[in-house]
Amino acid sequence: MSAAFTLYDYVLSGNCYKIRLFASLLAMPYQSVAIDFYPGYEHRSERMLSLNPAGTLPVMVTSAGGQVLTETNAMLAWMALHDGGAQTPWFPAVDPALGPQVQQGLAFGAGLTDSIGLARLHAMLDWPVDGEAAKRAGLKHLRALELHLTDRQIDGGLWWAGAHPTIADLACFPYVALSPDAGLEHDGFPAIRRWLYAVRSLPGFATMPGIHPLHELR
Amino acid sequence: MTWRPVGLTRDVPAGRVMRAWVDGQDAVVWRSTRGVLSAWDNRCPHRGMALSHGFVRGEDLACLYHGWHYGAEGGVCSLIPSHPDLTPPDTIKTRAFQSAESDGVIWVRLEGSPDLAPPAIAPGLDPLRSFEIRAREGDIAHGAAAKPFEPAILSLLFNPIAHDRTLVTVLIDAQATSDQRKLASRWCEDVRREVEA
Amino acid sequence: MSLAYARNDWYVIADRNSLEQGPRRTRLLGDEIHVSGSYAHPVIKDASGRMLPTQIKFDHVWTTVGDRPRPLFDIPEGNEPGRRLVPCGMVRVKCSPLRAVENFLDIAHFPFVHTDVLGAEPYTEVEPYKVEIREQNDEVWATKVKFFQPLAAKSAAGGITTDYEYRVPAPTTAVLYKTCPPKPEAQDVITIFVQPRSETECDVWPWMALYDDDTPYADLVQFQQMIFLQDRSILENQRPIKLPLDPRMEIPTRSDLTSVAYRRWLKKRGAFYGALAETL
Ligand SMILES: N[C@@H](CCC(=O)N[C@@H](CS)C(=O)NCC(=O)O)C(=O)O
Ligand code: FES
Ligand SMILES: [Fe+2]
Repeated sequence: MSAAFTLYDYVLSGNCYKIRLFASLLAMPYQSVAIDFYPGYEHRSERMLSLNPAGTLPVMVTSAGGQVLTETNAMLAWMALHDGGAQTPWFPAVDPALGPQVQQGLAFGAGLTDSIGLARLHAMLDWPVDGEAAKRAGLKHLRALELHLTDRQIDGGLWWAGAHPTIADLACFPYVALSPDAGLEHDGFPAIRRWLYAVRSLPGFATMPGIHPLHELR
Repeated sequence: MTWRPVGLTRDVPAGRVMRAWVDGQDAVVWRSTRGVLSAWDNRCPHRGMALSHGFVRGEDLACLYHGWHYGAEGGVCSLIPSHPDLTPPDTIKTRAFQSAESDGVIWVRLEGSPDLAPPAIAPGLDPLRSFEIRAREGDIAHGAAAKPFEPAILSLLFNPIAHDRTLVTVLIDAQATSDQRKLASRWCEDVRREVEA
Repeated sequence: MSLAYARNDWYVIADRNSLEQGPRRTRLLGDEIHVSGSYAHPVIKDASGRMLPTQIKFDHVWTTVGDRPRPLFDIPEGNEPGRRLVPCGMVRVKCSPLRAVENFLDIAHFPFVHTDVLGAEPYTEVEPYKVEIREQNDEVWATKVKFFQPLAAKSAAGGITTDYEYRVPAPTTAVLYKTCPPKPEAQDVITIFVQPRSETECDVWPWMALYDDDTPYADLVQFQQMIFLQDRSILENQRPIKLPLDPRMEIPTRSDLTSVAYRRWLKKRGAFYGALAETL
């Protein structure tokens, strides 16, 4: 099978992991190009800046049409539509009830990069940012997610919205699952734990460092 | 020692593991595939890894680090994967605490007379949620009383998990509607915001 | 705690990449250290402004705060022609520097922590291997270590039984030699240099000397980072945080012989910084 896209990728990036995870769930082949985000800061190199002036990873270049996408939410949407067309359960964009809910989750997921994501880079790689402030913002985000998922549980739901996991779940999963890397444990968040477990149980789930497999007997 | 409410039955279904704090003791609470609930010292006797990161294999809890297995009955080590043919001596075992469940709440205590059951909960209540507040029990109870929840009856259980952190378990009138439950869940956030401020 | 012993060892404090980011503050053995200058001329000062000695070795800047430092050990493979030297940056871990080293010497965790890469169930058995303290240079060595690995290195094509040797030349450095998939007669060298920020926190600088001319640098580093970040989530969850030297506090088995030897060796030297020696 030929690659659906090229991913400029970094193994420790939660944002890159969103794409690797979704590709694994969809069994969508892609080509990965390792970018030396750390210690080389290659995402800020001339070559990468000319591809993505924002200097962030991941970057996706689609094989058909050569679209360059630099926002993970756009990449997730592209993958869902590429896989299942407008009917894809992963991105019910025009469903009057679910569509806006999914957008809400995508935006929430994007916000985690600057809270948990930065707190994690600080704790792990000594990123020169205010780690404590990022951690406080991360705790706020975890609490907000716990509230949302508790609501969902009261309604008998498991996912961010609707009866099927969507790209909103995938946009939120990496940094929430990785928050212990930044010292933000999951102990006081039962609804988050239940949801993390559900994502980790999905057929085709892929791990990344910091998120271990469920170790089911094979 | 007293029974401490560490979470809700529904939050630890079969095959799931969580961490709990009981009178300053770090504990792992887990349920086997067949449904046996256990509470142990959250420390693998092998190399000290937190067992709350482990995974359930049937009636055993396995440690994430080297996969040592400990059985739900008695916490005795049943498998050392690096020496799969060895029968581990039964001196290798986890330190077990007492656990009990009633009315949808999980209780743990470090020791005490086995026949003393956890406190009964007023009838007609459903567990709503458990969550953490970075404050002491007294301040939380005070904050909650200052902000009575009108739509339905609530009951709060407290478990001190550090000098300034408390796990709060909230129960709600079993007749409450979904909307009332969501409102109550928001009320929890309001109380937390207020008490932590 | 034996700070006096630890002060007289050399520690990695920077590499070329970190110096290019500009001046930086870090910690060593509990104290603040200022790092500036360039890789060719690093300037390392303690909190009082005193200049600390430096040397460049194994692609890293080393320093010591001791008055009578022991000489820095050698890793002769670093000078072998044909090897590719790969510094991997730094990863911070909230754990004892000694627990970080001990974990690096351990193979029994591969199937559970590095699943489908360095190990996989049901291949969990650790065959007997040999551990010794080499008298001439007083180092811990483990040899004849074997383990089945699904993906032993970036250069591996499939599962192989990998041969390992381990070497501990200093309390906070571990070196491993392992089968090099494209060159079975040679061994890849992978090390961790652990900078003890305190007894319970460290910066770990991995470094590799490989026979691999084909794999891009970014892939090599990311393979190493993947492995080490899997370990990090274990290391931050071991209790007690400091490494217990009292054998009654944890339960070693035959597969832990390297760890047993390492702990004894630390005890014999009085290298207690990061160790729990109170119960001795
Ligand atoms: N808007 C982007 C943000 C991606 C992002 O911030 N990625 C991080 C890595 S996970 C990054 O590249 N940071 C650049 C830096 O910190 O230098 C998205 O959501 O895709
Ligand atoms: S620490 Fe638990 S199995 Fe080794
Ligand atoms: Fe490891």
